[in-house]
Amino acid sequence: MPPSKPYSFVRYKTAEEAKEAYVTLNGKEIVDDLGQKIILYLNFVEKAQWKELGLQALPPGLMVVEEIISSEDEKILLESVNWTEDIDNHNGQKCLKHRRVKHFGYEFHYENNNVDKDKPLPGGLPDIWDSILEKWLKEGFIKHKPDQLTVNQYEPGHGIPAHIDTHSAFEDEIVSLSLGSEIVMDFKHPDGVTVPVMLPRRSLLVMTGESRYLWTHGITPRKFDTVQASKGHRSGIITSDVGDLTLSKRGIRTSFTFRKVRQTPCNCSYPLVCDSQMKETPPSFPESAREASQLEREYVHRVYEEIAEHFSSTRHTPWPRVVDFLKALPSGSLVADVGCGNGKYLGINKELYMVGCDRSQNLVGICRERHLEALVGDALAVPLRSGSWDACISIAVTHHLSTAERRVAALQELVRLLRPGGMALIYVWAMEQEYKKKKSKYLRENRLRQGKEEEIHSDAAEPESLGEQVPDAGDQDAPCRVSAATDVRAGGGSASKVTDAKLPVHTNRTSFRSQDLLVPWHRKGNPGRDEPVGATESRAPGPVFHRYYHVFCAGELEEACRTLSHVRVLQSYYDQGNWCVVLQKV
Amino acid sequence: MKLLTHNLLSSHVRGVGPRGFPLRLQATEVRISPVEFNPDFVARMIPKLHLVEVPKGPIEGYEHDEKFLRQMHHVLLEVDVLEGTLQCPESGRLFPISRGIPNMLLSDEETET
Repeated sequence: MPPSKPYSFVRYKTAEEAKEAYVTLNGKEIVDDLGQKIILYLNFVEKAQWKELGLQALPPGLMVVEEIISSEDEKILLESVNWTEDIDNHNGQKCLKHRRVKHFGYEFHYENNNVDKDKPLPGGLPDIWDSILEKWLKEGFIKHKPDQLTVNQYEPGHGIPAHIDTHSAFEDEIVSLSLGSEIVMDFKHPDGVTVPVMLPRRSLLVMTGESRYLWTHGITPRKFDTVQASKGHRSGIITSDVGDLTLSKRGIRTSFTFRKVRQTPCNCSYPLVCDSQMKETPPSFPESAREASQLEREYVHRVYEEIAEHFSSTRHTPWPRVVDFLKALPSGSLVADVGCGNGKYLGINKELYMVGCDRSQNLVGICRERHLEALVGDALAVPLRSGSWDACISIAVTHHLSTAERRVAALQELVRLLRPGGMALIYVWAMEQEYKKKKSKYLRENRLRQGKEEEIHSDAAEPESLGEQVPDAGDQDAPCRVSAATDVRAGGGSASKVTDAKLPVHTNRTSFRSQDLLVPWHRKGNPGRDEPVGATESRAPGPVFHRYYHVFCAGELEEACRTLSHVRVLQSYYDQGNWCVVLQKV
Repeated sequence: MKLLTHNLLSSHVRGVGPRGFPLRLQATEVRISPVEFNPDFVARMIPKLHLVEVPKGPIEGYEHDEKFLRQMHHVLLEVDVLEGTLQCPESGRLFPISRGIPNMLLSDEETET
């Protein structure tokens, strides 16, 4: 059974009935309500788990007020929304993959799921809502006058991922009016309990307290909802009473969510999910191995797992000099790629037996999809036999380690793997992105790539030929001094600079101002929450991830390699914004 | 995970040092994937293997013994372990193989310093 797909399980009273069903229905073609042809596929399973849900209650603080708007008013209110034409037409056809969104009062920003309290939108809430909100206040459906409105239009098939509205952005009470169509909204408690709630057409959903602060709410992107047949179009929980369930085809639902922007930090009773109370301390330069490990876990490993697919799609062109290194190896060589990522180099030379090792399960999964040998492991404890490898490569890996000690330890691992005479090729990002007066591709592409997806290590087809000359510290305009060697000899993990320094966030495609920094990665927008459609509506760029880097100064990598025992540095060069070393185990 | 790869793996549990291999393999799901036979390549792999329970080592002149090479080729390169476990011979620690990928990650406490 392919994973991540929905399946229906049917239980028959007798084996004979089950067999009869199978014989009659398996492979049968039927036509659904939309006129689509569907083929039924049945199969026997050894075991099916039936979750018997106990008596369910609405999440505390949740209320649904039915028929709060008349049909006439519904029509007027829906027409009052002026959706600007979608400029992104595909051959004249509207290609609305995601729900449409409009904001009033304050703009909601999807990058950080918050509002900019200092920049209210002119005009406030549309006048048409004044009398309605007054009425709701008077009748006690709401307690506060909202100052922010978000209008969402969901076509059948649209949804929104489960989320909690940011605590620090909005006050307790959040109300949402559903017009045009009913829908089922799922509420989830952190313990795992899911409560599906029917929101009838023209009803007002009121979320306060626990339902607003602790439970997530979301809408599954699909065209049909499973609903309680006996309840018709009335509100309530969809129970698991299998005999009373039926499908309801979705229509176009427009929701009007009213909220009051918070002016003071949130002080709710749910601190673990509260961004005000759990204010993230910005990461600082690590002062111990444990801090280093934690920093890397948060700002390297977790990020790569999240961005794996997008990252892989931007890493398709192998660097020529790395290819040269691999192609020059004799046939039958055993080669380890430590930090192999998406396996870009694993299949380059078919005469070699290459095994990749990466910290990211998802990236190794991509290697596997490409029929490449790879495993999940750590560069500081490579799970491969010592002294057995003819060559190793470590491309754009060591710069993710946050102390000089760990960086040297990673290089030491490469040497451990090599057999005597074996060679290792190491590439790290250079602090100096301008070498011999020429800007690297990373810097040059600044203007072209504004606003598009980020490709940090630009996959250049042809790096500039800069010669084999060993770079000399005096040659560069490099502001940094080589400190790696002194760090290593001193045995300390921290640089000889300010301790407890916060790591600066780098601006992509500009020169590096610090050796230790966080480099942003903008993931291509996801459908759903992060990317509403529409030309003038907020074009959310998607979530930003910060990756930790220690960029190397001229000579720093070479110096670090020279501190290793049983090692001879064969080559040391600059290649397209990277410092590179070829070393040999003696 | 091919069996050749398995032969090259080592556990890094603290204290095991050079005794971290060979990892005891228990495969619950295996697939045979044909790979083009390259006798030269296979012959070069043989000396690199860690061979256990082969009292005399491979017979002399194995490089030219096509039957032998084909057998080794099949075992080393065509057998793909999809699901199973690897066990560190010294510490007993188990590592999972899932969807063909061995996960050799250790927790911070377990790693060698």
